[in-house]
Amino acid sequence: MLVEVAEGIEKFLETVEKHSGKRIFALFCGGVSPATGESWCPDCVKAEPVIETGVAKAPEDAVFIKCSVGDRATWKDPNCEFRKHLQLKLVGVPTLLEWNTPKRLVEEECSKQDLVDMFFEED
Amino acid sequence: MASYRVFCRNMKTSDVLSYIVKQNLRRCRRFSSHTDERQNYDLVVIGGGSGGLACAKEAASLAKRVAVVDFVEPSPRGTTWGLGGTCVNVGCIPKKLMHQASLLGEAIKDSRHYGWQVPDEVNHSWQTLVQSVQNHVRSLNWGHRVQLNEKKVTYYNGWGKFLDEHRIKTTLKNGDEKIIHAANVVLATGMRPKYPQEVPGALEYGISSDDIFSLQKPPGKTLVIGGSYVALETAGFLQGLGFPTTVMVRSICLRGFDQQMSQLVTDHMSNNAGVKFQWKTTPVSVEKTKNGSFSVRWRDEEGKEDVDHYDTVLFAVGRIPQTSNLGLENTSVKLKSDGKILQSQHEQSSVPHIYAIGDILDGGIELTPVAIKAGKLLAHRLFGNSNKVLDYSKVPTTVFTPLEFSSVGFSEEDAIERHGEENIEVYHAFYKPLEFTVAERPSDQCYIKAVCERTGSQKILGLHITGPNAGEIMQGFAVAVGFGISYEELSASLGIHPTSAEEVVKLHITKRSGEDPTVTGC
Ligand SMILES: Cc1cc2nc3c(=O)[nH]c(=O)nc-3n(C[C@H](O)[C@H](O)[C@H](O)COP(=O)(O)OP(=O)(O)OC[C@H]3O[C@@H](n4cnc5c(N)ncnc54)[C@H](O)[C@@H]3O)c2cc1C
Repeated sequence: MLVEVAEGIEKFLETVEKHSGKRIFALFCGGVSPATGESWCPDCVKAEPVIETGVAKAPEDAVFIKCSVGDRATWKDPNCEFRKHLQLKLVGVPTLLEWNTPKRLVEEECSKQDLVDMFFEED
Repeated sequence: MASYRVFCRNMKTSDVLSYIVKQNLRRCRRFSSHTDERQNYDLVVIGGGSGGLACAKEAASLAKRVAVVDFVEPSPRGTTWGLGGTCVNVGCIPKKLMHQASLLGEAIKDSRHYGWQVPDEVNHSWQTLVQSVQNHVRSLNWGHRVQLNEKKVTYYNGWGKFLDEHRIKTTLKNGDEKIIHAANVVLATGMRPKYPQEVPGALEYGISSDDIFSLQKPPGKTLVIGGSYVALETAGFLQGLGFPTTVMVRSICLRGFDQQMSQLVTDHMSNNAGVKFQWKTTPVSVEKTKNGSFSVRWRDEEGKEDVDHYDTVLFAVGRIPQTSNLGLENTSVKLKSDGKILQSQHEQSSVPHIYAIGDILDGGIELTPVAIKAGKLLAHRLFGNSNKVLDYSKVPTTVFTPLEFSSVGFSEEDAIERHGEENIEVYHAFYKPLEFTVAERPSDQCYIKAVCERTGSQKILGLHITGPNAGEIMQGFAVAVGFGISYEELSASLGIHPTSAEEVVKLHITKRSGEDPTVTGC
């Protein structure tokens, strides 16, 4: 499966556009803080290995976009673009979703292996 | 459950449909051919609808090993859907959303009287509605999947069939089979729409409630055949969305409901909502014409035949229990002649460890809350040391026609039959919802009646309301009636002013008195 990395909403939507027609999975996480080298969001850090394992179950021809929602202050702003975008309307990080479907896992759900496996396996 | 969020408001219907097809194909690939692999469960539930899911989740929460077997046989038109059963996919949920869409059309008209400057011509997009409704349905399907997973219920997306009284074979879409072993089985396979066998072209060209909520193109001029609540509700919202709709009824509408109320509902539909009724007629044949529409021939009581053309022909002439392809012949489970499962007592079939809940239970009531409650209580009786059983009397229900009709308890006919006319008192009132006045909407069919005992404090046997939001009004009163409230207690209560619901506690005119039941002023 093709993995893409996007920073910010514009880049994300561009990447989606580029792969339109394919199944697109996306993970939204808090950005990496320079001080620690890890995401500022502990749930995101916790979910990472779980999602890494789950992704292996996704179909070959799908695309997986990892997208950062920026630093903590940017994300916490109620007007954050990721919160406002009509098709995203994110309410928490991490969020794992499949584009153009209602499938979505939010926050601690992203660290539950069986849920994450089901997310990538189910069509 | 805060676990998934509604998403993809902009998802296209075609995406939704290809999503469903792919979903079924892909799920199957997950199971390699483990034929005869034996899996043991404390409980296997066949049918993942309202009743089945509720029962399975409840049993799993009591730390039992539980599996749900669910599969949707495509409709004759090829429509199929995800997990959740009739209510979620092709019943209550999409129906109520389309009813709401139609009510909003009414509200747009009303709003001009309230000062809103709405353009004369306001259009409706069927495609947008279907897309929004289907998106919501898909999100519920996913939600049910997540819930089963969270509760550790094993889900088989396959067709279940008894091999014997404890072994169930599930056939997945790609033909793979899996055999599971069940200490207890709950059957909750629901019902599917019936097509009249004797009408040529019905099965070939007709659609049903299984298809209407995901119909790709606008239905256009529609003929709805049947007098069931499904028929009336569908005709109501289609007409409200601007599609000229005719209802063809063989005998009466809303059989089993209070017939005076039923009359008010159909009067409102024909006099105010613009639905055409063709009474006492039956379809003879359906044929496809050159331009793609359908020519329907019908016959009236006197045997006279006539014909008209429609873009869509929808059959709502009843539903058949899904019990015929379940391998019940390999068990001693007894069926009634209509295909429903006979109970020895409390949802238990003639085989002690096999139970039936929901629509397929003989003597049950075909409503979602009934199926859910029966499933939950049964799980607790099976695994939780409980002996609570479901009381099937005084179940409230609402018909979501343009003018809603809600009821709880006995119809006037049933009360008379059981208690005798001389032993019941009926309090009734025609009322005018305040919001109708300014909008100059006729309120001729807004009516309430309480069917009560005649003596003592006059226990309420049945309560019936037609009017806007009748369903919302009834829920609270249904609790009171369920607990045996009397007319004396009801009329000692205070109303909330100004509401339509307050007319219920203000009821004071008896039918017997012959006084004019029209409510005037405050
Ligand atoms: C148009 C319409 C509107 C409705 N509106 C309302 C309403 O407003 N309020 C209300 O309370 N009720 C309403 N109902 C009724 C309500 O939908 C049903 O009462 C309820 O869904 C019954 O639940 P159930 O568990 O018995 O079966 P269902 O919900 O029908 O679920 C049965 C499931 O079992 C599956 N199945 C069947 N056989 C097998 C098998 N052998 N193997 C595997 N899977 C199988 C079916 O495909 C289905 O998924 C409506 C129904 C319709 C058709």
